Amino acid sequence: MNNLSFDSKRCDRIRQQLDSYLSNELLVETASEVVGHLESCESCSRDLESRMRLRDALQRAVANRPSPDSLRADVLRKLREFQPRSFARVSLKRWCLGFASVAVVLASLFAAQWFNLRRGEQLIASILKLGVADHLICAIKGHNYPELANPPDQIREKLGPRYAPLLQVVQQRLPGFEVLEGHVCSIPGSDRKFVHFITRGQGTVLSVILTERNGASLPAGKFLASAESAGLSIYEDHLNGMEIAGFESGQYFAFVVSDLSQHEIVELARGLAPALNEKLHTIALLLTPNANDWLAKSVSLHILRETNQCNKKRRCEVQERQQDG
Amino acid sequence: MPHLTDLHRTASFLLRDPHEAEDLIQETYLEAWKSFHRFELGTNCRAWLFKIMFHRLHHVRRRLLKTSRVITIDAPEGQDELAAEPAVPQEIRDEDMLNALEKVAVEFREIVLLADVEEFSYKEIAETLKIPVGTVMSRLSRGRKLLRQQLAEVARSYGINPRTKKAGAAETA
Repeated sequence: MNNLSFDSKRCDRIRQQLDSYLSNELLVETASEVVGHLESCESCSRDLESRMRLRDALQRAVANRPSPDSLRADVLRKLREFQPRSFARVSLKRWCLGFASVAVVLASLFAAQWFNLRRGEQLIASILKLGVADHLICAIKGHNYPELANPPDQIREKLGPRYAPLLQVVQQRLPGFEVLEGHVCSIPGSDRKFVHFITRGQGTVLSVILTERNGASLPAGKFLASAESAGLSIYEDHLNGMEIAGFESGQYFAFVVSDLSQHEIVELARGLAPALNEKLHTIALLLTPNANDWLAKSVSLHILRETNQCNKKRRCEVQERQQDG
Repeated sequence: MPHLTDLHRTASFLLRDPHEAEDLIQETYLEAWKSFHRFELGTNCRAWLFKIMFHRLHHVRRRLLKTSRVITIDAPEGQDELAAEPAVPQEIRDEDMLNALEKVAVEFREIVLLADVEEFSYKEIAETLKIPVGTVMSRLSRGRKLLRQQLAEVARSYGINPRTKKAGAAETA
């Protein structure tokens, strides 16, 4: 009885291990114990054989169930369907990234261009200011012209042999205007000299002024130019109540200044520019040998003055804010 | 396409609707294709695919349960508590085996399939189903027993009296 009870307990314990034995998941020692028991126990051996038969039958039955013939094709089709969407998704990301990069680059270029334009406008104004100042001081305030036009020979004499040939150009290229006076002068407090033609027409006084560039230049490119004539860019501005059009010709700046309209001034400058440019190129002498850097200094001083004014204004705002705080 | 048949035959025994099974396989390979960068070269590709399939299957089951299109068959109470081990008929037809398998509750059926048909280790099954190894062992044991019981029922329905433990013991005596 005791013996039977012992065997029954052992069989129960071994049968609990049969599942893991069948799955080859037992440790070597436990597997050896199971094998040893199976060799001596027909009942447990039959149980194992039954389980193995079941497993084999299950494997066979499952393996014999066929898969649909179209399964492989369907899976491949599903993958292909996804690929274009995936590609589009990736492409969209790339496109977005590309657009963002291009936008950043364009914004940078735009900012740089805007900065350059602002600087160019400042430079143009500072150069054109010279012509306006010469016109106002010499022609308007100084009234250095006669009511009746001086004889051409007298004007040529005042201009000197260097600039005398320019008189004919001014006379011919400013239709409706009479040349009253022509001379080389300078405004008080400045050693810069300029060639000044004072004319009258259309009910007003108009100056044609030529002054040496001395290394300074109007901005390159045509973005800021108001007009063009025979390859010359003509810049225009309204300063101190006067309209002024100017262009660069060889070593000179040429200005046409008056209180006419912007369009009229530009058109007059366009008519004058080609012939004046041609004539000026024949003049190689300098007006003022010791004023090589005068204009550059003048421009720098103008910009510096404006910067100081901005800084001063900013300081005032900060102080006001601090006081408010 | 690797392991397609293995995956499909397992899926077809876990989802009643053949179209659902095919969809599951397509989604599995699509998921594998999308996440192929996560596959570690040198590891078991077949186990990785099964893992993906069971992950997708989890979502499919949840969806089907919401739409009440899935019927789970629970093991009859006390079935696994029978003291006697049901005997397995000597001759088992494929049709009978598959019918018996379909009557085993799905949580046991899937482990029987993974262990006995696909021959995954307990550890691989535990990782695939995200359950402890001990649970794998207990569910496998119960699943096999349920399968034997279902087969015995089938045999009895044919008027065959399969050899029982008692009979076997008598023969031994």
